Amino acid sequence: MSAIALETADDAGVSRIYEVGYHIVPTVKEEDLDKVVGGIRSIVEKVGGSFIAEGAPALTRLAYPMTIREGEKYIEHDRWYFGWLKFEADVAVASALDEAMKRSADIMRHMVFRTVREDTRAKYRAPQLREVKRTDTIKTIARRPEEASAPVSEEDLEKALQDITAE
Amino acid sequence: MSNNILTQNDIQHVDYKDIDLLKQFVNPHGRIVGRKKSGLTAKQQREMERAIKRARFMGLLPYVAK
Repeated sequence: MSAIALETADDAGVSRIYEVGYHIVPTVKEEDLDKVVGGIRSIVEKVGGSFIAEGAPALTRLAYPMTIREGEKYIEHDRWYFGWLKFEADVAVASALDEAMKRSADIMRHMVFRTVREDTRAKYRAPQLREVKRTDTIKTIARRPEEASAPVSEEDLEKALQDITAE
Repeated sequence: MSNNILTQNDIQHVDYKDIDLLKQFVNPHGRIVGRKKSGLTAKQQREMERAIKRARFMGLLPYVAK
């Protein structure tokens, strides 16, 4: 049982901030993504929930491949459409959304959890390795173009050889 | 001097989507580092662990690497 499902028993009628993260199967065409996201949004809108922030689904490379069943086969995909949605709604809405996403064939994996209204994304940039100037580089000297020489006849070669051997 | 990344950068909340930030708290094998190495407070460490586990579930961080 998820944490969201546990909340519903005691806190019915209480409005809270939730975030939902989801992966849409990569076999869905890009033009149909809006339809899938619209389905998620409609569940929240139907019961008077209000949206706070949204991250449109974008093709994301995953840290490990996930499999989907296509007929008899299981096919691994390492790129999925990852999107998220932050909204304020009743506890029961979060539970209903969780259930609806479980049933959806287009959403492979999802997660609904409580969060805060403020933007939680940190403006943090990981330190990059500094570029170190190399001092041990070898300087290369450009080669001179070889001088074009006229073809040497065999007679001249013989003569030159005889001169050398005669000495 | 403290090496608390969250305090130094004035980060109040740890989001599971901030992969660059979360990568600072996992070792090359993908395991979460302890408080001694992360330098975080107990509360921050709990929040960071929760974010890493969410990111792993969503496939944004690996469970094991190498």
